[in-house]
Amino acid sequence: MARRLFAEEAAADGTSLTTRSTILRVYEKLRRSLCALAGVAGFRSLASRALTLAKAEAPSLRAMQVAEDGSLEVCGETELESDKHPAEESGIILLAQLLGLLHAFIGEALTLRLLRDTWPNIVFYDRDSGEREQHEHTR
Amino acid sequence: MSTRDKVAIHKLTTGVLGLDEIVGGGLPEFSFNIIAGAPGSGKTTLAHQFVFANATPERPALYFTVLGESAIKMLRYQQQYTFFDPSKLPGSIRFVNLSQVVLEKDLGAVLAEIIKEVEKFNPAVVVVDSFRTMVRRSQGGPGEIDLQSFIQQLALFLASWQATTFLIGEYAADELRDNPIFTVADGLFWLSQIAERNSVVRKLQIVKLRGQASVPGLHTFRITDGGLQAFSRTFGLSGHKSKPPSQRRLSIGIPELDSMMGGGIPEGDSVLVTGASGTGKSVLATQFIAEGIRQGESGIVAVFEERPQAYADRAGSFGLDLETPQKEGTLLILYLRPLDLSVDETMNEILDAVKKIGAKRLVIDSLAGFEMALSPGFREDFRESLYRMIFALTGIGVTILSTVEVDESFTEFPFSTYSISFLTDDIIRLRYVSIDGQLRKILVIIKMRGGNHSQDIREYEITSKGMIVAGERLKNYQRLITGIPERVNRSGEKEELPRKSKVKSKT
Repeated sequence: MARRLFAEEAAADGTSLTTRSTILRVYEKLRRSLCALAGVAGFRSLASRALTLAKAEAPSLRAMQVAEDGSLEVCGETELESDKHPAEESGIILLAQLLGLLHAFIGEALTLRLLRDTWPNIVFYDRDSGEREQHEHTR
Repeated sequence: MSTRDKVAIHKLTTGVLGLDEIVGGGLPEFSFNIIAGAPGSGKTTLAHQFVFANATPERPALYFTVLGESAIKMLRYQQQYTFFDPSKLPGSIRFVNLSQVVLEKDLGAVLAEIIKEVEKFNPAVVVVDSFRTMVRRSQGGPGEIDLQSFIQQLALFLASWQATTFLIGEYAADELRDNPIFTVADGLFWLSQIAERNSVVRKLQIVKLRGQASVPGLHTFRITDGGLQAFSRTFGLSGHKSKPPSQRRLSIGIPELDSMMGGGIPEGDSVLVTGASGTGKSVLATQFIAEGIRQGESGIVAVFEERPQAYADRAGSFGLDLETPQKEGTLLILYLRPLDLSVDETMNEILDAVKKIGAKRLVIDSLAGFEMALSPGFREDFRESLYRMIFALTGIGVTILSTVEVDESFTEFPFSTYSISFLTDDIIRLRYVSIDGQLRKILVIIKMRGGNHSQDIREYEITSKGMIVAGERLKNYQRLITGIPERVNRSGEKEELPRKSKVKSKT
């Protein structure tokens, strides 16, 4: 799921590469959507937990932190990159942790509904639909 | 003003089973309401039910959360209820968190934020949860708008934007006075839960509702998988017209007893059959139901002391088939035995059953079992609740036969230990009597509100075919009702009571 969101945003830039700006843009869209639902404090606590979990998998995220308003602060230029985890992978790990937390708290159906609201051009199918997840560009 | 000149107030369903009837048909559209109560009383769930029942993509619901339960956790828990429809999120129901504004700014900024969101989404329903925590944050500092002004502006704005509003708050009963919010509100829903011994009783009161008549008083409610379910004090029958009195008599299935009652029980009466353990109350009740089914009248038996199968098996031993009518849907045996039951819930079950099969006869066996099945808190109001229940049921033409056990005394003749005789139209008293070294049974009609009845004291037996009233009235005894009669030596008359050698006693 996280990988798809990055691919969608990268495609919007006309590239197949996930850059640091792509990662931040995906995160930012999710932040705005979730802050409206859960409040800044609510989102910040979720994001901090997700970042902590992600750092265990991708040490290159160690220099990152969640700011007061829930936004992602990156200290330095190359922290997202490492031999083991390129920037794309680190971003995916972080986002996957965040989506995983949401899934754990409010379930798959509501998580997907929130994502659909944030990315209306992507069609998400849940497991109950019996169909494979697939992209559908409506624009 | 004529009806034609009055503005028609559209009523919205509350989404809560039983509550529409209590509020007078639905909640007035564009009303400004408060849901108040202690923590855990069901305020948020009630608001969610209303929201899910009314929100549409065209006129969505805006649900503002403030400081209390986090929206994520609220969604986590609320989605467990069956009314929660995830397809309504976020298109029809939008959650907006105001915590940051409330924490960092004043009520003016909160009002501005609410106005901004309402203008953006054009909601039909607005909920602020919890409003109480929001106003608690207000310090009333210099330059801040005061609470009264905030509430006035909020109510005015939301009404103008054609939104039906709920403010949710944890309030105590003594806060009702001198609080501007309760003055401004059109509707005030008060939820409470009271612990009584080991059980908890939930009550709902419509303290105030402008524009329409609601059912007054405290109504029981439960929180189930489907959310709140309310049970009106009037059992949902407040709008029903009472059935005109019938001249028809219903046979009990015991010809001699029918004769003693002037042809049977007047239709729509409430009959009390009272007697000691083993006198045959349940047998009589079963014969009443079985006779009704034989005549094409559906029936319901509410049992509290034994399970339906055992009840039907026992009826079978008297040659009364209760199995077939159950299969055919003309008889329902309701087993109502959960502790913490309220009369209102019991009534709801019975009413549903009455509607389901079009029942004409109802047996409650027994009132003592019924009372024991109630939560301790409801037992105090048992008589009052029973009165409402019987009045409501007989009002729609159901004939009720209730049994009640009384302590057998050989010095007194009590009709009922519950002092509920006033609730009934007719009373049949069964009792043991000591005659010629045998413990025999007699019955007497104590009262019939609808007409004359036999004054005779008759002996009866419980046989393999049920209750049979035997012989003529017992003329040669005095003080029969004490249970220890004295033989009277009338001139030229001899006592002719046959000695019974075989009396099958089955109750």
